Amino acid sequence: MSFLRLRGVSVEFPIYQASSRSLKKLLLASSTRGNLGRDAHDRINVLALTDVSFQIGDGERFAVIGLNGAGKTTLLKVLAGIYEPTHGRFASSGKVSSLLDIQVGLNLDATGRENIILRGMYMGIHPYEMRERAAEVAEFTELGDYLDMPVRTYSAGMMIRLAFAASTCVPPDILIMDEWLTAGDAHFLDKAQRRVEAFVRTSSILVLASHSLELVERWCNRGILLHQGRTVTIGPVAEIISDYRQLAEIGTLPDLAAPLPSVEAAQ
Amino acid sequence: MTLTKDIDLRDRETRPSPPMTTFPATFSANTATDAGPVERASRTSAALVDLLEGLSQSWLWTTLAHQDLKLRYRGSILGPFWQTVTTGVMIASMGFIYAKLFHTPLQTYLPLLAAGLVFWQFASGLITEGCTTFYSVQGIIQQVRLPFSLHAYRLVYRNLLILGHNFVIVPIVLMMFPQPITWLRLLELGPGLGLIILNGVWISILFGMISARFRDVPPIVASIVQVVFFMTPIFWPADGLGRNRWLAEINPIYAAIDVLRAPLLGQPTERYSWSILLGITVVGCAASFAFFARFRARIAFWV
Repeated sequence: MSFLRLRGVSVEFPIYQASSRSLKKLLLASSTRGNLGRDAHDRINVLALTDVSFQIGDGERFAVIGLNGAGKTTLLKVLAGIYEPTHGRFASSGKVSSLLDIQVGLNLDATGRENIILRGMYMGIHPYEMRERAAEVAEFTELGDYLDMPVRTYSAGMMIRLAFAASTCVPPDILIMDEWLTAGDAHFLDKAQRRVEAFVRTSSILVLASHSLELVERWCNRGILLHQGRTVTIGPVAEIISDYRQLAEIGTLPDLAAPLPSVEAAQ
Repeated sequence: MTLTKDIDLRDRETRPSPPMTTFPATFSANTATDAGPVERASRTSAALVDLLEGLSQSWLWTTLAHQDLKLRYRGSILGPFWQTVTTGVMIASMGFIYAKLFHTPLQTYLPLLAAGLVFWQFASGLITEGCTTFYSVQGIIQQVRLPFSLHAYRLVYRNLLILGHNFVIVPIVLMMFPQPITWLRLLELGPGLGLIILNGVWISILFGMISARFRDVPPIVASIVQVVFFMTPIFWPADGLGRNRWLAEINPIYAAIDVLRAPLLGQPTERYSWSILLGITVVGCAASFAFFARFRARIAFWV
Protein backbone atom coordinates (compact mmCIF):
# COMPACT_ATOMS: atom_id res chain seq x y z
CA MET A 1 0.00 0.00 0.00
CA SER A 2 1.41 3.35 -0.93
CA PHE A 3 0.48 6.80 0.27
CA LEU A 4 1.67 10.37 0.48
CA ARG A 5 0.72 12.43 3.48
CA LEU A 6 1.39 16.07 4.26
CA ARG A 7 0.46 17.74 7.50
CA GLY A 8 0.88 21.49 7.80
CA VAL A 9 3.81 21.47 5.43
CA SER A 10 5.57 24.76 4.78
CA VAL A 11 8.63 25.28 2.65
CA GLU A 12 10.53 28.47 3.02
CA PHE A 13 13.91 29.21 1.59
CA PRO A 14 16.17 32.20 1.34
CA ILE A 15 17.38 33.06 -2.13
CA TYR A 16 20.99 34.10 -2.14
CA GLN A 17 21.61 34.94 -5.73
CA ALA A 18 19.00 37.49 -6.65
CA SER A 19 19.43 36.63 -10.30
CA SER A 20 18.96 32.92 -9.89
CA ARG A 21 16.69 31.12 -12.26
CA SER A 22 14.25 29.95 -9.64
CA LEU A 23 13.76 33.48 -8.41
CA LYS A 24 13.14 34.70 -11.92
CA LYS A 25 10.61 31.99 -12.35
CA LEU A 26 8.89 33.06 -9.17
CA LEU A 27 8.99 36.73 -10.00
CA LEU A 28 7.70 36.27 -13.51
CA ALA A 29 4.18 35.92 -12.34
CA SER A 30 2.87 39.07 -10.78
CA SER A 31 0.58 36.92 -8.73
CA THR A 32 3.46 35.90 -6.50
CA ARG A 33 3.69 39.28 -4.82
CA GLY A 34 2.67 37.88 -1.50
CA ASN A 35 5.31 35.19 -1.40
CA LEU A 36 8.41 37.27 -1.23
CA GLY A 37 9.65 39.02 1.83
CA ARG A 38 12.94 40.65 2.55
CA ASP A 39 14.56 39.96 5.86
CA ALA A 40 16.70 42.26 7.96
CA HIS A 41 19.75 41.39 5.86
CA ASP A 42 17.96 42.20 2.65
CA ARG A 43 17.90 38.59 1.64
CA ILE A 44 14.85 37.45 -0.17
CA ASN A 45 12.88 34.75 1.50
CA VAL A 46 10.52 32.73 -0.58
CA LEU A 47 7.64 31.20 1.23
CA ALA A 48 6.97 28.68 -1.46
CA LEU A 49 4.42 26.62 0.44
CA THR A 50 2.39 27.50 3.51
CA ASP A 51 0.60 25.03 5.68
CA VAL A 52 -0.40 22.47 3.09
CA SER A 53 -2.12 19.32 4.31
CA PHE A 54 -3.58 16.42 2.41
CA GLN A 55 -3.27 12.73 1.91
CA ILE A 56 -3.16 10.73 -1.29
CA GLY A 57 -3.93 7.04 -1.20
CA ASP A 58 -3.79 4.01 -3.47
CA GLY A 59 -5.08 4.36 -7.00
CA GLU A 60 -5.58 8.10 -6.82
CA ARG A 61 -4.68 10.33 -9.71
CA PHE A 62 -3.97 13.62 -8.06
CA ALA A 63 -3.72 16.94 -9.90
CA VAL A 64 -1.77 19.97 -8.73
CA ILE A 65 -2.91 23.15 -10.42
CA GLY A 66 -2.43 26.86 -9.91
CA LEU A 67 -1.17 29.96 -11.65
CA ASN A 68 2.53 30.45 -12.31
CA GLY A 69 4.45 30.57 -9.08
CA ALA A 70 1.67 29.02 -7.04
CA GLY A 71 4.07 26.50 -5.56
CA LYS A 72 3.24 23.52 -7.75
CA THR A 73 6.80 22.46 -8.45
CA THR A 74 7.83 22.98 -4.84
CA LEU A 75 4.96 20.78 -3.76
CA LEU A 76 6.00 18.08 -6.23
CA LYS A 77 9.55 18.27 -4.94
CA VAL A 78 8.34 17.78 -1.39
CA LEU A 79 6.28 14.79 -2.51
CA ALA A 80 9.29 13.37 -4.35
CA GLY A 81 11.43 13.71 -1.23
CA ILE A 82 13.76 16.26 -2.79
CA TYR A 83 12.86 19.16 -0.52
CA GLU A 84 12.46 18.50 3.14
CA PRO A 85 9.67 20.67 4.58
CA THR A 86 10.80 23.59 6.70
CA HIS A 87 7.79 23.09 8.93
CA GLY A 88 5.18 20.41 9.19
CA ARG A 89 5.52 16.76 8.46
CA PHE A 90 5.66 14.63 5.40
CA ALA A 91 5.39 10.87 5.27
CA SER A 92 5.29 8.52 2.34
CA SER A 93 5.33 4.89 1.51
CA GLY A 94 6.09 3.40 -1.85
CA LYS A 95 8.71 3.57 -4.54
CA VAL A 96 8.69 7.02 -6.08
CA SER A 97 9.55 7.87 -9.64
CA SER A 98 9.61 11.56 -10.44
CA LEU A 99 9.64 13.29 -13.79
CA LEU A 100 10.16 16.89 -12.84
CA ASP A 101 12.31 18.23 -15.62
CA ILE A 102 12.94 16.63 -18.97
CA GLN A 103 16.61 17.24 -19.45
CA VAL A 104 17.48 16.68 -15.87
CA GLY A 105 18.82 13.23 -15.23
CA LEU A 106 19.51 12.85 -18.91
CA ASN A 107 23.16 12.93 -19.81
CA LEU A 108 23.22 14.90 -23.03
CA ASP A 109 26.49 13.39 -24.21
CA ALA A 110 25.38 9.83 -23.71
CA THR A 111 23.23 8.01 -26.23
CA GLY A 112 19.54 7.33 -25.78
CA ARG A 113 20.23 3.72 -24.86
CA GLU A 114 22.83 4.68 -22.26
CA ASN A 115 20.39 7.16 -20.81
CA ILE A 116 17.77 4.48 -20.41
CA ILE A 117 20.22 2.52 -18.26
CA LEU A 118 21.26 5.69 -16.44
CA ARG A 119 17.71 6.72 -15.65
CA GLY A 120 17.06 3.24 -14.34
CA MET A 121 20.10 3.44 -12.12
CA TYR A 122 18.90 6.66 -10.54
CA MET A 123 15.67 4.86 -9.75
CA GLY A 124 17.62 2.14 -8.02
CA ILE A 125 17.41 -0.43 -10.80
CA HIS A 126 20.62 -2.24 -11.44
CA PRO A 127 22.03 -1.97 -14.99
CA TYR A 128 21.72 -5.75 -15.45
CA GLU A 129 18.01 -5.62 -14.83
CA MET A 130 17.61 -2.44 -16.83
CA ARG A 131 19.34 -3.95 -19.85
CA GLU A 132 16.68 -6.62 -19.96
CA ARG A 133 14.03 -3.95 -20.11
CA ALA A 134 15.87 -1.71 -22.52
CA ALA A 135 14.30 -3.29 -25.59
CA GLU A 136 10.83 -2.69 -24.27
CA VAL A 137 11.68 0.89 -23.38
CA ALA A 138 13.19 1.43 -26.81
CA GLU A 139 10.04 0.17 -28.43
CA PHE A 140 7.84 2.45 -26.36
CA THR A 141 9.86 5.53 -27.32
CA GLU A 142 9.51 4.72 -31.07
CA LEU A 143 12.82 6.53 -31.50
CA GLY A 144 14.44 3.80 -33.61
CA ASP A 145 17.97 4.58 -34.71
CA TYR A 146 17.98 7.81 -32.76
CA LEU A 147 18.54 5.73 -29.65
CA ASP A 148 22.16 5.28 -30.66
CA MET A 149 22.69 9.02 -31.05
CA PRO A 150 23.68 11.39 -28.25
CA VAL A 151 20.64 12.84 -26.52
CA ARG A 152 22.05 16.27 -27.34
CA THR A 153 20.66 15.83 -30.84
CA TYR A 154 17.12 15.13 -29.65
CA SER A 155 14.16 17.45 -29.86
CA ALA A 156 12.26 18.29 -26.68
CA GLY A 157 9.51 15.89 -27.66
CA MET A 158 11.99 13.07 -28.20
CA MET A 159 13.58 13.67 -24.81
CA ILE A 160 10.17 13.46 -23.21
CA ARG A 161 9.50 10.14 -24.87
CA LEU A 162 12.82 8.77 -23.69
CA ALA A 163 12.51 10.08 -20.13
CA PHE A 164 8.92 8.94 -19.74
CA ALA A 165 9.50 5.49 -21.19
CA ALA A 166 12.59 4.87 -19.09
CA SER A 167 11.07 6.18 -15.87
CA THR A 168 7.93 4.13 -16.15
CA CYS A 169 9.31 0.84 -17.47
CA VAL A 170 9.21 -0.54 -13.95
CA PRO A 171 5.82 0.53 -12.65
CA PRO A 172 6.56 2.82 -9.70
CA ASP A 173 4.21 2.91 -6.73
CA ILE A 174 4.10 6.67 -7.01
CA LEU A 175 4.64 8.61 -10.20
CA ILE A 176 5.17 12.35 -9.89
CA MET A 177 5.09 14.41 -13.07
CA ASP A 178 5.50 18.10 -13.72
CA GLU A 179 3.74 19.91 -16.51
CA TRP A 180 6.38 19.42 -19.18
CA LEU A 181 4.70 16.21 -20.27
CA THR A 182 2.18 18.27 -22.18
CA ALA A 183 4.89 19.10 -24.69
CA GLY A 184 4.56 15.61 -26.12
CA ASP A 185 2.47 15.11 -29.25
CA ALA A 186 -1.06 13.73 -29.20
CA HIS A 187 -0.02 10.25 -30.25
CA PHE A 188 2.52 10.02 -27.47
CA LEU A 189 0.15 11.49 -24.90
CA ASP A 190 -2.42 8.81 -25.67
CA LYS A 191 0.19 6.14 -25.27
CA ALA A 192 1.47 7.67 -22.07
CA GLN A 193 -2.05 7.93 -20.69
CA ARG A 194 -2.71 4.25 -21.39
CA ARG A 195 0.46 3.31 -19.54
CA VAL A 196 -0.33 5.54 -16.58
CA GLU A 197 -3.88 4.23 -16.44
CA ALA A 198 -2.57 0.70 -16.46
CA PHE A 199 -0.49 1.17 -13.38
CA VAL A 200 -2.91 3.39 -11.58
CA ARG A 201 -5.32 0.45 -11.90
CA THR A 202 -2.80 -1.68 -10.03
CA SER A 203 -3.17 0.70 -7.10
CA SER A 204 -0.40 3.14 -7.80
CA ILE A 205 -0.51 6.86 -7.27
CA LEU A 206 -0.13 9.52 -9.92
CA VAL A 207 0.57 13.13 -9.05
CA LEU A 208 0.46 15.49 -12.01
CA ALA A 209 1.04 19.24 -12.14
CA SER A 210 -0.25 20.89 -15.25
CA HIS A 211 -1.63 24.03 -16.78
CA SER A 212 -3.60 22.03 -19.27
CA LEU A 213 -7.03 21.73 -17.72
CA GLU A 214 -7.98 19.31 -20.43
CA LEU A 215 -5.14 16.99 -19.49
CA VAL A 216 -5.97 17.29 -15.81
CA GLU A 217 -9.61 16.47 -16.49
CA ARG A 218 -8.66 13.46 -18.55
CA TRP A 219 -5.99 12.04 -16.26
CA CYS A 220 -6.93 12.92 -12.73
CA ASN A 221 -9.79 12.31 -10.36
CA ARG A 222 -8.82 14.53 -7.45
CA GLY A 223 -6.55 17.46 -6.91
CA ILE A 224 -5.39 20.56 -5.17
CA LEU A 225 -5.56 24.18 -6.31
CA LEU A 226 -2.68 26.26 -4.98
CA HIS A 227 -2.37 30.01 -4.93
CA GLN A 228 0.70 31.82 -3.63
CA GLY A 229 1.78 28.69 -1.85
CA ARG A 230 -1.48 28.22 -0.03
CA THR A 231 -4.22 25.70 -0.48
CA VAL A 232 -7.32 27.10 -2.12
CA THR A 233 -9.29 23.95 -2.78
CA ILE A 234 -8.75 20.25 -2.35
CA GLY A 235 -11.34 18.04 -3.92
CA PRO A 236 -12.74 16.46 -7.06
CA VAL A 237 -11.19 17.61 -10.30
CA ALA A 238 -14.33 19.40 -11.49
CA GLU A 239 -14.36 21.49 -8.37
CA ILE A 240 -10.72 22.57 -8.46
CA ILE A 241 -10.98 23.35 -12.16
CA SER A 242 -13.93 25.65 -11.70
CA ASP A 243 -12.12 27.41 -8.86
CA TYR A 244 -9.02 27.68 -11.03
CA ARG A 245 -11.02 29.34 -13.81
CA GLN A 246 -12.42 31.81 -11.36
CA LEU A 247 -8.96 32.47 -9.98
CA ALA A 248 -7.48 32.97 -13.41
CA GLU A 249 -10.20 35.47 -14.31
CA ILE A 250 -10.03 37.64 -11.23
CA GLY A 251 -6.31 37.16 -10.76
CA THR A 252 -6.72 36.66 -7.05
CA LEU A 253 -9.22 35.48 -4.52
CA PRO A 254 -10.32 37.69 -1.65
CA ASP A 255 -8.33 37.24 1.52
CA LEU A 256 -6.54 33.98 1.06
CA ALA A 257 -4.87 34.36 4.41
CA ALA A 258 -8.02 33.26 6.17
CA PRO A 259 -8.74 29.58 5.69
CA LEU A 260 -11.38 29.06 3.07
CA PRO A 261 -14.43 27.02 3.93
CA SER A 262 -13.68 24.55 1.15
CA VAL A 263 -10.30 23.79 2.65
CA GLU A 264 -11.82 23.04 5.99
CA ALA A 265 -14.35 20.77 4.38
CA ALA A 266 -11.70 18.88 2.47
CA GLN A 267 -9.76 18.16 5.59
CA MET B 1 34.57 34.09 9.90
CA THR B 2 31.82 35.88 8.05
CA LEU B 3 30.82 32.47 6.84
CA THR B 4 29.84 31.10 10.21
CA LYS B 5 28.12 34.31 11.13
CA ASP B 6 26.04 34.25 8.03
CA ILE B 7 24.96 30.70 8.61
CA ASP B 8 24.00 31.37 12.18
CA LEU B 9 21.83 34.29 11.19
CA ARG B 10 20.05 32.37 8.52
CA ASP B 11 19.53 29.58 10.93
CA ARG B 12 17.57 31.90 13.13
CA GLU B 13 15.51 33.43 10.42
CA THR B 14 14.35 30.13 9.01
CA ARG B 15 13.17 29.11 12.42
CA PRO B 16 10.73 31.77 13.56
CA SER B 17 10.44 32.54 17.22
CA PRO B 18 7.05 30.93 17.98
CA PRO B 19 8.01 27.42 18.96
CA MET B 20 7.18 25.66 15.76
CA THR B 21 8.31 22.11 15.61
CA THR B 22 9.88 20.89 12.42
CA PHE B 23 9.65 17.33 11.33
CA PRO B 24 11.95 15.68 8.91
CA ALA B 25 10.47 14.04 5.91
CA THR B 26 10.81 10.33 5.74
CA PHE B 27 11.65 8.76 2.49
CA SER B 28 12.34 5.15 3.15
CA ALA B 29 11.25 3.36 0.04
CA ASN B 30 9.16 0.67 1.64
CA THR B 31 8.43 1.66 5.15
CA ALA B 32 6.12 4.38 6.28
CA THR B 33 7.54 6.23 9.19
CA ASP B 34 6.27 9.17 11.05
CA ALA B 35 9.28 11.08 12.19
CA GLY B 36 9.52 12.54 15.61
CA PRO B 37 10.37 16.15 16.33
CA VAL B 38 13.62 17.33 14.93
CA GLU B 39 16.19 17.87 17.51
CA ARG B 40 19.88 17.75 17.13
CA ALA B 41 19.78 14.02 17.76
CA SER B 42 17.49 13.15 14.89
CA ARG B 43 19.31 15.47 12.52
CA THR B 44 22.46 13.64 13.41
CA SER B 45 20.88 10.30 12.84
CA ALA B 46 19.44 11.49 9.53
CA ALA B 47 22.95 12.47 8.47
CA LEU B 48 24.29 9.13 9.62
CA VAL B 49 21.56 7.29 7.73
CA ASP B 50 22.43 9.34 4.66
CA LEU B 51 26.12 8.38 4.89
CA LEU B 52 25.36 4.69 5.38
CA GLU B 53 22.61 4.55 2.80
CA GLY B 54 25.01 6.12 0.33
CA LEU B 55 27.66 3.54 1.14
CA SER B 56 25.21 0.68 0.71
CA GLN B 57 24.47 1.83 -2.83
CA SER B 58 28.07 1.31 -3.86
CA TRP B 59 27.02 -0.31 -7.12
CA LEU B 60 25.46 2.98 -8.12
CA TRP B 61 28.34 5.33 -7.39
CA THR B 62 30.97 3.00 -8.77
CA THR B 63 29.02 2.58 -12.00
CA LEU B 64 28.42 6.32 -12.24
CA ALA B 65 32.10 7.06 -11.66
CA HIS B 66 33.12 4.62 -14.40
CA GLN B 67 30.62 6.24 -16.69
CA ASP B 68 31.94 9.71 -15.85
CA LEU B 69 35.35 8.69 -17.09
CA LYS B 70 33.94 6.96 -20.12
CA LEU B 71 31.97 10.02 -21.15
CA ARG B 72 34.78 12.41 -20.38
CA TYR B 73 37.05 10.67 -22.84
CA ARG B 74 34.44 9.59 -25.35
CA GLY B 75 35.80 9.47 -28.86
CA SER B 76 39.44 9.58 -27.83
CA ILE B 77 41.70 6.61 -28.51
CA LEU B 78 43.67 6.63 -25.29
CA GLY B 79 40.68 7.40 -23.09
CA PRO B 80 41.56 8.07 -19.47
CA PHE B 81 45.16 7.21 -20.26
CA TRP B 82 45.45 10.64 -21.82
CA GLN B 83 45.85 11.86 -18.28
CA THR B 84 48.66 9.35 -17.82
CA VAL B 85 50.39 10.56 -20.96
CA THR B 86 50.07 14.18 -19.86
CA THR B 87 51.56 13.39 -16.47
CA GLY B 88 54.28 11.28 -18.07
CA VAL B 89 55.31 14.05 -20.43
CA MET B 90 55.31 16.52 -17.58
CA ILE B 91 57.52 14.27 -15.43
CA ALA B 92 59.95 13.58 -18.25
CA SER B 93 60.34 17.21 -19.29
CA MET B 94 60.40 18.65 -15.79
CA GLY B 95 62.62 15.85 -14.53
CA PHE B 96 65.63 16.57 -16.69
CA ILE B 97 65.55 20.33 -16.24
CA TYR B 98 64.92 20.43 -12.51
CA ALA B 99 67.42 17.68 -11.74
CA LYS B 100 70.03 19.97 -13.27
CA LEU B 101 68.58 23.00 -11.49
CA PHE B 102 68.68 21.33 -8.09
CA HIS B 103 72.02 19.62 -8.83
CA THR B 104 70.38 16.30 -8.03
CA PRO B 105 71.12 13.08 -9.96
CA LEU B 106 68.22 11.82 -12.12
CA GLN B 107 68.46 8.54 -10.25
CA THR B 108 67.00 10.16 -7.12
CA TYR B 109 65.13 13.08 -8.63
CA LEU B 110 62.94 11.40 -11.22
CA PRO B 111 61.31 8.86 -8.85
CA LEU B 112 60.71 11.64 -6.32
CA LEU B 113 59.07 13.81 -8.95
CA ALA B 114 57.04 11.00 -10.51
CA ALA B 115 55.53 9.73 -7.27
CA GLY B 116 55.12 13.27 -6.01
CA LEU B 117 53.24 14.53 -9.05
CA VAL B 118 50.98 11.49 -9.31
CA PHE B 119 49.92 11.76 -5.67
CA TRP B 120 49.68 15.54 -5.87
CA GLN B 121 47.27 15.25 -8.75
CA PHE B 122 45.17 12.88 -6.71
CA ALA B 123 45.14 15.11 -3.63
CA SER B 124 44.59 18.36 -5.50
CA GLY B 125 41.92 16.72 -7.65
CA LEU B 126 40.02 15.72 -4.53
CA ILE B 127 40.21 19.25 -3.15
CA THR B 128 39.30 21.20 -6.28
CA GLU B 129 36.67 18.77 -7.49
CA GLY B 130 35.44 18.44 -3.92
CA CYS B 131 34.03 21.94 -4.30
CA THR B 132 31.79 20.74 -7.12
CA THR B 133 30.38 17.69 -5.32
CA PHE B 134 26.82 18.97 -5.15
CA TYR B 135 26.36 21.71 -7.67
CA SER B 136 27.85 19.66 -10.48
CA VAL B 137 25.01 17.18 -9.98
CA GLN B 138 22.31 19.74 -9.24
CA GLY B 139 20.20 18.20 -11.97
CA ILE B 140 20.14 14.88 -10.19
CA ILE B 141 19.59 16.43 -6.78
CA GLN B 142 16.61 18.37 -8.14
CA GLN B 143 15.11 15.32 -9.76
CA VAL B 144 15.71 12.22 -7.69
CA ARG B 145 15.91 11.62 -4.00
CA LEU B 146 19.30 10.02 -3.36
CA PRO B 147 21.53 10.05 -0.30
CA PHE B 148 23.66 13.20 -0.57
CA SER B 149 26.73 11.28 0.50
CA LEU B 150 26.44 9.20 -2.66
CA HIS B 151 27.65 12.16 -4.73
CA ALA B 152 30.73 12.46 -2.53
CA TYR B 153 31.52 8.76 -2.80
CA ARG B 154 31.15 8.95 -6.56
CA LEU B 155 33.59 11.85 -6.73
CA VAL B 156 36.19 10.21 -4.52
CA TYR B 157 35.91 6.92 -6.38
CA ARG B 158 36.26 8.68 -9.73
CA ASN B 159 39.45 10.35 -8.54
CA LEU B 160 40.69 7.01 -7.28
CA LEU B 161 40.16 5.58 -10.76
CA ILE B 162 42.12 8.47 -12.25
CA LEU B 163 44.89 7.82 -9.72
CA GLY B 164 44.89 4.20 -10.85
CA HIS B 165 45.51 5.28 -14.44
CA ASN B 166 48.17 7.79 -13.47
CA PHE B 167 49.94 5.46 -11.14
CA VAL B 168 51.26 3.23 -13.96
CA ILE B 169 53.99 5.81 -14.41
CA VAL B 170 55.43 5.21 -10.96
CA PRO B 171 56.45 1.53 -11.39
CA ILE B 172 57.88 2.35 -14.82
CA VAL B 173 60.08 5.09 -13.36
CA LEU B 174 61.01 2.86 -10.44
CA MET B 175 62.11 0.13 -12.82
CA MET B 176 64.30 2.58 -14.67
CA PHE B 177 65.73 4.02 -11.48
CA PRO B 178 65.49 1.34 -8.78
CA GLN B 179 65.07 2.52 -5.20
CA PRO B 180 65.78 0.66 -1.93
CA ILE B 181 62.19 -0.52 -1.55
CA THR B 182 61.26 -3.08 1.08
CA TRP B 183 58.03 -5.05 0.87
CA LEU B 184 57.28 -4.34 4.49
CA ARG B 185 57.32 -0.61 3.90
CA LEU B 186 54.97 -0.98 0.93
CA LEU B 187 52.34 -2.22 3.38
CA GLU B 188 52.16 1.38 4.62
CA LEU B 189 50.50 2.32 1.36
CA GLY B 190 47.29 0.66 2.55
CA PRO B 191 46.58 2.75 5.65
CA GLY B 192 47.99 5.82 3.92
CA LEU B 193 45.62 5.54 1.01
CA GLY B 194 42.79 4.69 3.38
CA LEU B 195 43.33 7.89 5.36
CA ILE B 196 43.52 9.98 2.22
CA ILE B 197 40.27 8.47 0.94
CA LEU B 198 38.60 9.37 4.24
CA ASN B 199 39.95 12.88 3.84
CA GLY B 200 38.58 12.94 0.31
CA VAL B 201 35.13 12.08 1.62
CA TRP B 202 35.01 14.78 4.27
CA ILE B 203 36.52 17.34 1.94
CA SER B 204 34.04 16.67 -0.83
CA ILE B 205 31.11 16.84 1.59
CA LEU B 206 32.26 19.96 3.47
CA PHE B 207 33.72 21.86 0.52
CA GLY B 208 30.87 20.68 -1.67
CA MET B 209 28.29 22.12 0.70
CA ILE B 210 30.10 25.41 1.29
CA SER B 211 30.65 25.82 -2.44
CA ALA B 212 27.02 25.10 -3.21
CA ARG B 213 26.07 27.89 -0.87
CA PHE B 214 28.90 30.36 -1.61
CA ARG B 215 29.86 30.22 -5.24
CA ASP B 216 33.02 32.24 -4.65
CA VAL B 217 34.60 29.38 -2.79
CA PRO B 218 35.63 27.13 -5.71
CA PRO B 219 37.79 29.77 -7.45
CA ILE B 220 39.34 30.72 -4.10
CA VAL B 221 40.15 27.09 -3.37
CA ALA B 222 41.51 26.60 -6.88
CA SER B 223 43.92 29.49 -6.55
CA ILE B 224 45.03 28.39 -3.10
CA VAL B 225 45.69 24.89 -4.40
CA GLN B 226 47.79 26.35 -7.18
CA VAL B 227 49.92 28.26 -4.71
CA VAL B 228 50.21 25.23 -2.45
CA PHE B 229 51.68 23.24 -5.35
CA PHE B 230 54.74 25.45 -5.32
CA MET B 231 54.95 25.56 -1.53
CA THR B 232 54.88 21.80 -1.11
CA PRO B 233 57.97 19.63 -1.63
CA ILE B 234 56.63 17.80 -4.66
CA PHE B 235 59.11 18.68 -7.34
CA TRP B 236 61.77 19.87 -4.95
CA PRO B 237 63.32 17.96 -2.05
CA ALA B 238 62.23 19.07 1.41
CA ASP B 239 65.85 19.12 2.52
CA GLY B 240 66.38 22.10 0.24
CA LEU B 241 64.66 24.25 2.85
CA GLY B 242 67.57 23.74 5.21
CA ARG B 243 66.84 25.20 8.60
CA ASN B 244 63.31 26.08 7.55
CA ARG B 245 62.44 22.49 6.86
CA TRP B 246 59.56 22.72 9.34
CA LEU B 247 57.67 24.73 6.73
CA ALA B 248 57.34 21.52 4.76
CA GLU B 249 56.87 19.25 7.73
CA ILE B 250 53.75 21.00 8.96
CA ASN B 251 52.14 21.11 5.51
CA PRO B 252 49.23 18.65 5.58
CA ILE B 253 49.34 18.17 1.81
CA TYR B 254 52.98 17.22 2.11
CA ALA B 255 52.08 14.83 4.93
CA ALA B 256 49.51 13.16 2.69
CA ILE B 257 51.94 12.84 -0.22
CA ASP B 258 54.79 11.81 2.04
CA VAL B 259 53.04 8.82 3.63
CA LEU B 260 52.50 7.38 0.16
CA ARG B 261 55.71 8.48 -1.48
CA ALA B 262 58.31 7.69 1.16
CA PRO B 263 57.66 3.91 1.18
CA LEU B 264 57.87 3.86 -2.62
CA LEU B 265 61.22 5.58 -2.57
CA GLY B 266 62.46 3.48 0.32
CA GLN B 267 63.00 6.59 2.41
CA PRO B 268 61.90 7.22 5.97
CA THR B 269 58.55 8.97 6.35
CA GLU B 270 58.80 12.44 7.87
CA ARG B 271 58.43 12.30 11.63
CA TYR B 272 55.17 14.24 11.76
CA SER B 273 53.49 13.05 8.58
CA TRP B 274 51.37 10.29 10.10
CA SER B 275 50.26 12.35 13.07
CA ILE B 276 49.38 15.33 10.89
CA LEU B 277 47.43 13.19 8.46
CA LEU B 278 45.64 11.40 11.28
CA GLY B 279 44.91 14.72 12.96
CA ILE B 280 43.33 16.38 9.93
CA THR B 281 41.36 13.22 9.23
CA VAL B 282 39.79 13.26 12.70
CA VAL B 283 39.21 17.01 12.85
CA GLY B 284 38.03 17.18 9.25
CA CYS B 285 35.61 14.29 9.59
CA ALA B 286 34.15 15.75 12.76
CA ALA B 287 33.73 19.25 11.32
CA SER B 288 32.35 17.92 8.07
CA PHE B 289 29.89 15.65 9.83
CA ALA B 290 28.65 18.42 12.10
CA PHE B 291 28.12 20.68 9.12
CA PHE B 292 26.48 17.92 7.11
CA ALA B 293 24.12 17.04 9.94
CA ARG B 294 23.12 20.66 10.39
CA PHE B 295 22.63 21.71 6.77
CA ARG B 296 22.00 18.49 4.85
CA ALA B 297 18.35 19.36 4.22
CA ARG B 298 19.39 22.73 2.78
CA ILE B 299 21.56 21.29 0.00
CA ALA B 300 18.58 20.84 -2.30
CA PHE B 301 17.79 24.55 -1.96
CA TRP B 302 21.39 25.66 -2.41
CA VAL B 303 22.22 23.94 -5.65
